[in-house]
Amino acid sequence: MAKEMIAMLLAGGQGSRLYALTEKLAKPAVPFGGKYRIIDFPLSNCVNSGIDTVGILTQYQPLVLNEYIGNGQPWDLDRLYGGVHVLPPYQKASGSDWYKGTANAIYQNISFIERYDPQYVIILSGDQICKQDYSDFLKFHKEKNAEFSVAVMEVPWEEASRFGLMVTDKDDRIVEFQEKPKNPKSNLASMGIYIFNWDILKRYLEEDEADPNSENDFGNNIIPNLLRDNRRMYAHHFNGYWKDVGTISSLWEANMEILDPEHSGINLFDEDWKIYSRNSGMTGHKISAGAVVENSMITDGCRIKGTVKHSILFSGVRVEKGAVIEDAVVMGGTVVKAGAVVKHCIVAENVTIGENAVVGAMPSGDENGVATVGDGVIIGDNAKIGPRAMVNKNVEGGEEEW
Amino acid sequence: MVNMNTSALGIIFPNSYDALVPDLVNVRLMASIPFASRYRLIDFILSSMTQCGIDNISVMVNNNYHSLMDHLDSGREWDLVRKNGGLHIFPPFAEKAAKPYTGRVGALANILDFLRDEREKYVVITDTNIVVNFDFNAMIRRHIESGADVTVAYNQQELPESLMRSQSNDQGYYYTFGIEDGRITKIYVNAKDPGVQNFSMNIFVVERELLIDLINTAFVRGQEFFERDVLLPRLNKMNIQAYKHEGYIARICDMKSYFDENMKLLDEYNLDSLFSGHQIYTKIRDDNPTRYIEGAKAQNVMVADGCVIEGEVENSILFRGVRIAKGAKVKNCILMQDTVVEAGANVEYLIMDKNVTITAGKEMKGTGTFPVYIGKFQTV
Repeated sequence: MAKEMIAMLLAGGQGSRLYALTEKLAKPAVPFGGKYRIIDFPLSNCVNSGIDTVGILTQYQPLVLNEYIGNGQPWDLDRLYGGVHVLPPYQKASGSDWYKGTANAIYQNISFIERYDPQYVIILSGDQICKQDYSDFLKFHKEKNAEFSVAVMEVPWEEASRFGLMVTDKDDRIVEFQEKPKNPKSNLASMGIYIFNWDILKRYLEEDEADPNSENDFGNNIIPNLLRDNRRMYAHHFNGYWKDVGTISSLWEANMEILDPEHSGINLFDEDWKIYSRNSGMTGHKISAGAVVENSMITDGCRIKGTVKHSILFSGVRVEKGAVIEDAVVMGGTVVKAGAVVKHCIVAENVTIGENAVVGAMPSGDENGVATVGDGVIIGDNAKIGPRAMVNKNVEGGEEEW
Repeated sequence: MVNMNTSALGIIFPNSYDALVPDLVNVRLMASIPFASRYRLIDFILSSMTQCGIDNISVMVNNNYHSLMDHLDSGREWDLVRKNGGLHIFPPFAEKAAKPYTGRVGALANILDFLRDEREKYVVITDTNIVVNFDFNAMIRRHIESGADVTVAYNQQELPESLMRSQSNDQGYYYTFGIEDGRITKIYVNAKDPGVQNFSMNIFVVERELLIDLINTAFVRGQEFFERDVLLPRLNKMNIQAYKHEGYIARICDMKSYFDENMKLLDEYNLDSLFSGHQIYTKIRDDNPTRYIEGAKAQNVMVADGCVIEGEVENSILFRGVRIAKGAKVKNCILMQDTVVEAGANVEYLIMDKNVTITAGKEMKGTGTFPVYIGKFQTV
């Protein structure tokens, strides 16, 4: 039985700009929004759009991601035919290779895709926070009788030169593609989400593989080749919430925007478009008498005795008496001891912040850095972590790190 | 086999003591009563069993069991989707000649063929009105070491006032024990004695073959109640041992104890005592984290995911998906799933069942000794 459309999710990126957060795990596995990981968003979008077959392409630090995905049950992707499959590079009779680029990753899994004989393939990216109905996107693709479609966002003209831009005609047909140009001719930024007719995609992947000079990348090679051949290429306008969380500051910002769904546009309280995740299974959170919790998101297993303002706490975070957390993203299992001050920063999972230690600082003047503390780090009593620090090793009591 | 599971199968009676909390079981049964902000009563026994390696579990539903079927589903959340064993739900067998059963004997007689076919050596039998993180392995070990025919778990506590007051046996039977050197020598039915008693937890360990014999015999004689009709007359003939449970325990005996036992978990010592053993699994709802909006004030509360809090809440237990609007005040309340307290409402000592709405500006108060219960889907 053929599938109409299957999804291929690019999750191999190292996410080097997230540094301390991605030392031991792939970027799509980075925790987000109190109880999710980034990959929950594209996976939930797939299921909510009716896509039941997803290949996840991994190669960098896949262990956490593999365990997290498991059999796909939390996303309803444990299916008899289809479902979710983690696809690392593998050895073939003709040899083996790491994924050399985004296009090569798909090329190496042509036989996976052919098992489902799909008409269309949607290429997704594992580092974006976005709620998008891919069935709308496919409808557009079909209406335009397109061979390739890309989801685009309007961005402010002054920022346009940071993006891959699609120049279109009145009918949304793409006439030109500009990768991070100095003089943008368009403000339609590619979201890195593509729908291909499978026969077209396969032909261009094979052609690209045969080209020894290619970088095997969708943006740099496949899309220009399609344009060269005057293929039917269209840009689908998306105007919901979309955020690339590839940097510490954008990850921090995207988390903070959850606290203001009325204005920022990402609403996790949408019963019709749930974001699914693997559950921590902890008890409800506990806020003690004398604690202060303002304008924050708190999830299962947290115990709060101190002060939490405008922050996001993941499962099982403990905030002891007298500790203050403000404008911070504090991931699962972290303990903030008495009197510690944690501000304007990202603290990864299972960190211990010692008594009266200081991590990060509210922006002042030109200084608006987001301090980052990596997974499992122990910050000693009275230690001080500056607002621009990236800490991935234990910090002794009383020491300072900037 | 490596890591061989405990050689015991579990049998759970989810309807036991329904009559003690008539309001709460109006649309459900004892086992599916919400407890501790995100659980149902059965989660505690079920999770304890599966984590002790008991993965062949039968639930003997009798009536009002839709909510429980919905909650348990395939048993996946408790890791009970197994090729061998797993979760079985046994409703009463509808047949002309069969009359509805009232006690364990009739229920077990219905599944004798199933029991004969299983391979586990022991059977563990429980109710669900007791919230406990229970080590079944320790109890089974004691059962084997003591050479008992039957072992029954108990704890030491005073009898709840509501049981003491009750003048009839309409609400079912509860049991207290006389114990000598670990052996049960007396079983008292519905005793009214003051002071600390050896209070049965109705958790039994018995060899499967012996259970089949006992049930067979009792059923043929038209007997109903395992404790009263099977164990009590055999106190001299059989070695019936008592197993004392020392850990945390919450018994639901009436609305008051339901309220109090929830509230007791606001004390972190109690919370840690109950949850420090096995992890307790429950049905996943995929709620987002709870959001505290500007102006919210929360003091001494236990809150599940999916809530939105804009008003003030104090000394309360909030289940999943509760909404407390701006200016609303909630104090000493249990708010079950998806309840709403609208703007400016002021409530104290309420037990709000699922999907209850308190409309804007309303004021409603119970007292500590008499919390007011509001039924499912009501709007005040």
